[in-house]
Parts: sequence; C-alpha cells; structure tokens
Amino acid sequence: MRPEHWWYTLPLRLRSVFRRERADRELDEEMQFHLEKLIEEGVASGLSPRDARYAALRAMGGLAQKKEEARDMRGTRWLTDFLDDIRYAARSLARAPGLSFFVVLTLALGIGMASAPMSMVDALVFRPYPVPHPDRIVNLRSTSPYSSFELFSYAEYRDIAARAKSYTGVIANGDYIPMGYSLKSGETARVRGGMLVSGNYFSVLDVTPQFGRAFRPEEDQVPGRDPVVVLGRDFWKQELASDRTIVGRTIRLNGTVFTVIGVAPESFPGMHVFIRPDFYVPFAMAPVLSRQPQKDFFHDRDARGLIVQARLAPRATLTDARNELATIAKDFEREHPQFNRNRGGMVRNQVQMRTRSDDPNWKFGIVFLVLALMVLAVACTNAASLLLSRAGARRREIAVRLALGAGRSRLIRMLLAESLLLAVMGGAAGVAAGFALIKLLTRFAIPTTLPIHVPFQMDLRILAGCAALSVASAIVFGLAPALQSTRVDVVDGLKAGEAELPGRRRLWGRNVLVAGQVAASLTMLTAGLLVMRGFHHGLVEGVDFAKTAKDHVLMATFDPRLLQYDSTRTERFFKQLVEHACQAPGVVSAGLTQNPPLGLEAFEVLPLVPEGAEMPKDRETYDVTMDTVDEGYFEAMGIPIVRGRAFRSSDTRDTPRVAVVNESFATHHWPGVDALGKRFHLGKRGGPLVEIVGITPTLRYRMPYEKPMEFVYLPLAQRPVARLTLLMRSSGNPLSLIEPLKGIVRSIDPDLPLVSVRSYMVLYRYNAVDGPGIAVKMSMTMGAMALFLAVAGLYGLISYNVSRRTREIGIRMAVGADRPDVIRLVLGKGLVLVTAGAAIGLALGFGVERVMNTALFNIGGVDFLVYAIVVPATFLVTTLAAYVPALRASRIEPTRALRWE
Amino acid sequence: MSKPSDLVQGTLDLLILKLLAIEPLHGWAISRRLKVVSQDVLQVSEGSLYPALHKLEQEGWITAEWKQTENNRRAKFYSLTRPGRKQLEAESASWHLLSSAITRVVRLSEA
Repeated sequence: MRPEHWWYTLPLRLRSVFRRERADRELDEEMQFHLEKLIEEGVASGLSPRDARYAALRAMGGLAQKKEEARDMRGTRWLTDFLDDIRYAARSLARAPGLSFFVVLTLALGIGMASAPMSMVDALVFRPYPVPHPDRIVNLRSTSPYSSFELFSYAEYRDIAARAKSYTGVIANGDYIPMGYSLKSGETARVRGGMLVSGNYFSVLDVTPQFGRAFRPEEDQVPGRDPVVVLGRDFWKQELASDRTIVGRTIRLNGTVFTVIGVAPESFPGMHVFIRPDFYVPFAMAPVLSRQPQKDFFHDRDARGLIVQARLAPRATLTDARNELATIAKDFEREHPQFNRNRGGMVRNQVQMRTRSDDPNWKFGIVFLVLALMVLAVACTNAASLLLSRAGARRREIAVRLALGAGRSRLIRMLLAESLLLAVMGGAAGVAAGFALIKLLTRFAIPTTLPIHVPFQMDLRILAGCAALSVASAIVFGLAPALQSTRVDVVDGLKAGEAELPGRRRLWGRNVLVAGQVAASLTMLTAGLLVMRGFHHGLVEGVDFAKTAKDHVLMATFDPRLLQYDSTRTERFFKQLVEHACQAPGVVSAGLTQNPPLGLEAFEVLPLVPEGAEMPKDRETYDVTMDTVDEGYFEAMGIPIVRGRAFRSSDTRDTPRVAVVNESFATHHWPGVDALGKRFHLGKRGGPLVEIVGITPTLRYRMPYEKPMEFVYLPLAQRPVARLTLLMRSSGNPLSLIEPLKGIVRSIDPDLPLVSVRSYMVLYRYNAVDGPGIAVKMSMTMGAMALFLAVAGLYGLISYNVSRRTREIGIRMAVGADRPDVIRLVLGKGLVLVTAGAAIGLALGFGVERVMNTALFNIGGVDFLVYAIVVPATFLVTTLAAYVPALRASRIEPTRALRWE
Repeated sequence: MSKPSDLVQGTLDLLILKLLAIEPLHGWAISRRLKVVSQDVLQVSEGSLYPALHKLEQEGWITAEWKQTENNRRAKFYSLTRPGRKQLEAESASWHLLSSAITRVVRLSEA
C-alpha cells in the first residue's frame, strides 16, 4: 500500500474487518453469478446442465480457494485472524470459567501489587520536572568530605550565577518554611508553607503564571523593598476559591503586607515531589520571612541553605557543567579559605539527583518494586501451571487441528491469544486494585504541621506500565504452555489421550515453589495477626492519659520566631497566653509543652549524670528523653503525679532547679530507694544540680507500642523554649475552644499565626487507629494474597498431575482401586507439599514473632492463639485446593480413561 | 496467492483497470470482454479474476456498486476511481516502456 492514500484505503480495510460477513456474502453472490453465467454459456454451447455445471466449476478453479484468496487480498488477514483468535479464546476460556477466573485473579493481584511500587518509583525517581524541557534542568550541590549533597549559601549562589557560562540561567530556592498567612489585617493568621526563591525562578524554569506575572528582575535586588508573592495553584483554589481578582490585591505573610502578582499554573505543582508550596517569595524578602534572624542571609557565606538548580545552555553538556563548577569551587576555596576549605561542587541531572545514595526513600521504592515483581513472577508461574493443567486435556484438540493442517505457529498464536486475553482482564482488574491501593497510600495523612504531599498517583505513565506488564506476563505464562502443548506428534496425539509429558525432574522446581508459597503465606498471615495483636496490646498500658485527652484536649502550636520575637517577648507572650486560656469559658485547665506525648516531632535528649553515680567507663553522661513543660501541663494532659509534686509557679529562674521524672528513670538510677529529693547534674559531672520533686508513671511517649522509656520533665520557667504547644482541657468538645482561642491570640498579637490547631484525637487516631490500621491492613492483605497464590499454585500443580496421570488412574481403578484410594493417592502428594510448606512457615513465623517482639512491640513469649488460628486455617484452605482436583480424579471413568489409548 | 500463469506478472491489474476506464463492468463482463478484445489470446482463469478485483478495490483504485444487469439480475459493477485512473496511467506508461524494451531486445536477437 502506498503511503499517500492510506487515508483512502483505511475505511475500506476497516469495512472489511467490521463488515466481514457482509463482504463475504457479497463475494459469494458475485462468484455465484459468475458461475451461473458460465453454466448458461455451457448449456448454450450444447452441454447438458450437469456437465455444464461441472465444467464451470472446473473453470473457476476451486471456489473455496479463490474466495480465500480474495479474502487475503483485503490485506486485513492478520487482524481478522487476531479477532478470530480472541473470539475463539474467549469461548475457550468461558468453557473453563473457574480456571479462567483463578488465572485472572492471580494476575490481577500480581499486577495490582506492582502498580503501587511502580508509582512510588516513578514519583521518586523518574517523573520529570513539571517544566518544559525538563531534561535540561540540572542540580548544583556543594560537596564536603562528609557529604556530596550539601547546599549553597546565598552569597555562593550569586557568585555561581555570575561566573558560570554553561547555563541559560541559575535558580535557587530556600527551605519549605511555615509562613503565617492572613487575608486581612486583624484576622487570625494561619500557618501555610512557602518558599523563598530567586527572582529568575519562573523565567528560567520556563513556567508562565496562569494569571498575573512572574517576578521582575528588580524585585529581587533590594532587601525588603518589594513584598511580592506568587501563589501556588492549590492554595489559590482551596483558600481563595479560584478568585482571579486576587492578582494585584494584597495578603499578609508573617504580618507583612505582600502584593499578589501571579498564580502558578496547574501544570506546575512545584519542583519537589513531596511539597506543594503555597507561596513563592523573592529572596530579597528574606528579612521578614527567615526564621534565623541571627544569621545574615545575604552575606554569610556559610549559611548554606539554598537548593541551586540551573537550565543547561543549548550546547552545554553535563560534563561541561561539572568541570566548570569544579573550577568555581576551587576559586571559592582560594578566595574564602575559612568557609570553603575542602569544598567542591557537583552537578547532577534529575535521575542522578533523585537516586542519591543517602536517601532511603527511593531505595525502599525499588525494594518494594522488586518484591512486587517477584510476586508477579510467582503469579505468572501459577498461571502457567494452571494453563498447563489444561494442556493435557487439550492435547487431542490440538492434534486434530494440526492434522487438519493448522500451522504450529498459528496454533501458538491462538494459545497466546488466550493468555493475552487473560492477561488483559487480569491487568484491568489489577489496575483497579492498584488504584485502590494507591488511594489508600495517599489517604493516609501524617499530621505534620506543613502538609506533605504524597506524590503517588495512578496516571497514564503507570497505566502504560501496567499494560506493558500485562502483555509481558501474558508471554511469560502463556508461551511455555503454548510451546509444550503444540509440540505434539500428530499420530500419537490422536491415538493416545496423552503423550509424553515432562518427567519428574521438571516438576521438582514447581513442587518447591508451591511449598514455598504455602510457607510464605503462613508466615505472612502470622505476621499480620501478630501486628494486630501487638498494636492491641500496646493500647492497654501507659496510654490511660490519652483515653480522656483524646476527647477533651485541644492543642495549638505557636512559633513567635516567625514574627522575629526576641526571647523576652516570647516569654511574655506565652505567659499571657496561658493566663488568658485558663480564664476562657469551658476550659478546665491549660498548660504548655514543647511536645505532647505521642506527637510527631522528636523529643529533645538531655545529657545528665545522677549525683554521686559511678558512670560506666565508655560514657560520660546518660542521655534521657525529655520535655519542657509549665506548671499546668500535668493536669491539662491528664498525667498523674504518683509521688511528690508537679511544677509550681514558684519554680522560677531564681529558685533551685527542679525536675519531674518517670518511674522508669527513678528505678533505673535509684533502685530500691525513693528517688524523690535525689539530684542529678545537667550535662557532664559538675554541671548544675537538679532536684527531683515529682514522679509520674511511665507512659508511652513516642509510639503506643514502645518499650518503657526513661523520661525527664524540666520546668519552662527554668529552660525557655521558643516553639510551644498550648494544651487546653475542656469539659466538653475540645473543638469548641477554637474560637475563644483565636480571640485570645488576636487580643495579644493578631499577626501571630497558629502553627496548628487540633484536638488530641488527631494524634490518638494517628497512633492508635490509622497507623496501626494501615499496618494491619497491609500485612493481612499480603498474607491473604500469599495464601491465594499458594492455593492457585497448589491447585494448578495437582490438576496438572491428575491430567498427566489420567491413564494411570484409569488402570488403577480398573484393577480394583476405589474412589477413596484415588483421592488418597492424589491428595497425598498435595499434603506432603502443604506439610513441608507449613513446617517451614511455622519456623519462619516464630522467627518473625521474636523479631517483632524485640524490635517493635514490648511483648514477650509466644502467642499460641495466633498459631492456633493460622496453622489450621492455612492447612484447611490449601488442602481444599488439592482436594478439588483429587475429587475430579476419583470421578475418572476407568473405561473412558482406558479407551483414550 | 496464485498469479495467472499465462499473463505477465501484474498485467492483469493493468488490463482490468483499462477495461474499467472505458465503462463500469461486473466481473463476468470483464472476463468476457477480456476474451473478446484480446481475441482469445489472454485467458484469465475464471476464478482468478475475483482476488484481483478485491485487491484493486482494497487499494482504492476501483470501487464497486450493486446494480441491476440488463436482464434484471443483481451484479456488482466495478468502476475506476480517481487514484485508479492515475494508477492506470502509471501502469500503462511503464507497460509501454517495458514492452518496447522487450520488443527491441527480441528484434536484436533476430538480427
């Protein structure tokens, strides 16, 4: 076909595909017409009608062949054949619905499981930057002897941008930082996340704002002069209800008025997959937004906090850029030896940057992906074995087809069409499963202050990946059975019901695989139940406080550093805050803490030495987890004081230092003695002495299932902290305290943002409900999946065995074996596999339990109940899988089985 | 696909196109017309005509339409399309080139 008129012939071809029957009918009619004319002619020339008919048929040269030739001429043979194959495959699969369903489900699980890690790896490594020509964007990093992924300071960035020639532009951005946002003055500020960026950020990335404009070069030149902001798309949509008139109006960030100049486009969620900044502000505005007023953002060469990226110039290569940056780094070293000794520079492209050696996330993704592909491989093996079990039964059908003249390649194509159909159905179901799985991953919100964007999604890239996996698995699990079942000696195949099938040795591998699957499923189910029990157990002790706190405590975090408060002003603010909070209606008590228990931020660690203690040789201090709290904390949080007292307002900077400790700490350092009144040194021996005035029970501090931890509380008055969380205990619903709280904050300083406000329920749910829930769900799902795979594998293997031994079973029955004998014979083999697998699985399960008990949960001993559930369940289900084909084998009619000979 | 052995490869297409250039015809008429015009020299096996017709139709060079014949029977009439006409010109030209070349060679051997 000549290319110039494909558009002309395409409809014709389509017609011959879709209206094949009509085309065939027309061809019939046309040739019939010709035939009749020939006969007429023959009769006219004096032949008898019969002779004329024969002569005419001879002249036509075989009607059927010519018709076939004419069909070939339509040039759509491959397509119509393919459609035939698919139609035939559908019929053939419908004849064995159970088997087809099994195969589809197996593949669906395999592909569904693979899709989630695929999306993870894609998001973490491969998804291109959301900018035009993303492959030209490179990452510039400072290198030191300790890490080759360090950042640059602003001064360094300016120098690089001025000196480098390999780029069309060099950009930089700061950390994702909290910014107190309010639309109008007087409105309580809320914390959102934003980023300081270089003035050329959007122009170099080639991102045009959806509305308004990007920064002008002069807007990033004079510190503090141009308060302009570009809004993130999501923020604009959610907070401003997609209001286009916002461009040109003002918002307040950390109390400063900023003019909105643009809104980032939908296509640009940000350069970093985990975060979606709400605000982009030029570096020149750092003085009002930076949280480190003591460092000079613009001039300190060692204030290294900027991520530097660049767009390669049209002809520049990565190597050019690397050499150039190395030279620039050398110059820095010479010019500023005090800041840049032993420092180099490195340029990396996107993939190199994201697969950085010190980042575990993408490695986890790869590990998950490999595991999932292994599961898929096992699923494919099972599918192949299921199909093979049919191959025996189909041997005759295939032999007949071969005898009738079908080519082997044609038959293989037909069989592959079957597996392709199965794979497509499995793939489709798998995509649905993967969709649900990814949804589950993204829905699990971690209650951090600034939102973390979970970048995993089912997009076109992942769909394409799933489709490729489906086709690949169709070939993997379909080709072997297809090759094997078409390698038939026609005569043998027609004569005997079965010809030689692979011998014992080949089955070895599959036996091991099936036993392994039984073992794996038992182990995973055990692990799942253990996780469930572990979490349940964890919620029994040490979390009493949380049970009332979750329904009554409101938490609000404040960080006055956002407004560049100094320490006296900070102290005064918190003092006023608690005073006002205590007087608010509905508030039972209020207190301050650095970190509520079971929160997300890490506790500080306090080095200390008990007074008069003999320290072990290898250490100078004990490092104990600690929290800084005020006098209202214990009551507000609901933590009882077992002995002694809580902090008082009389504990001030000028009175002796005091501490409250937990029972674990007390008994560890003063075993058998009352720790009340004992003292310890802060820091090393010789540091200031602190007296223990109160003892609390040992709680769960980090996770509900942790081991008992030593813990020390120090009074806020003696140890000032800038970022604190206010706890307000209400008599009723804690959320009803939000409005009064906002009023209080407004009355003290309206510009001060509430970093986060939430009830303790959020932390409780995260720790005790959602987190464990997802872990239990995942491990149980995996266990159930493993069990399903084991069932499919075992069923396939036993069915295959039965189909192989039909003749043998027939003979056995003919010479007197009865049905139970046959069932025993077939089932015996399955039971051997199940028992072997279960034994291995049980051993692994004990191992898993030990690891979990020591590493995760604070539990000892062996949980027999778990095994009492898992082992019989696994046995029952897998034995059932072997029993079904055994039952079928016992129904073999000896006469029929033997007549197959 | 079997080619009529008594015709030079590809010439059947040319003949059909040429005949259809004159007027739309059905299959039977084409085979008769071919016989008559070539004075029985060009014999197309009766059945081979249809695969050829289908190929030409598939290429888009001819198009078919069901019509009544003179004695009121339904028959499929083929007619030339615009690309078919171009194809005919091209094939005629190459045929002239080929046949005159062969003629020259044949004469040469006689001399």
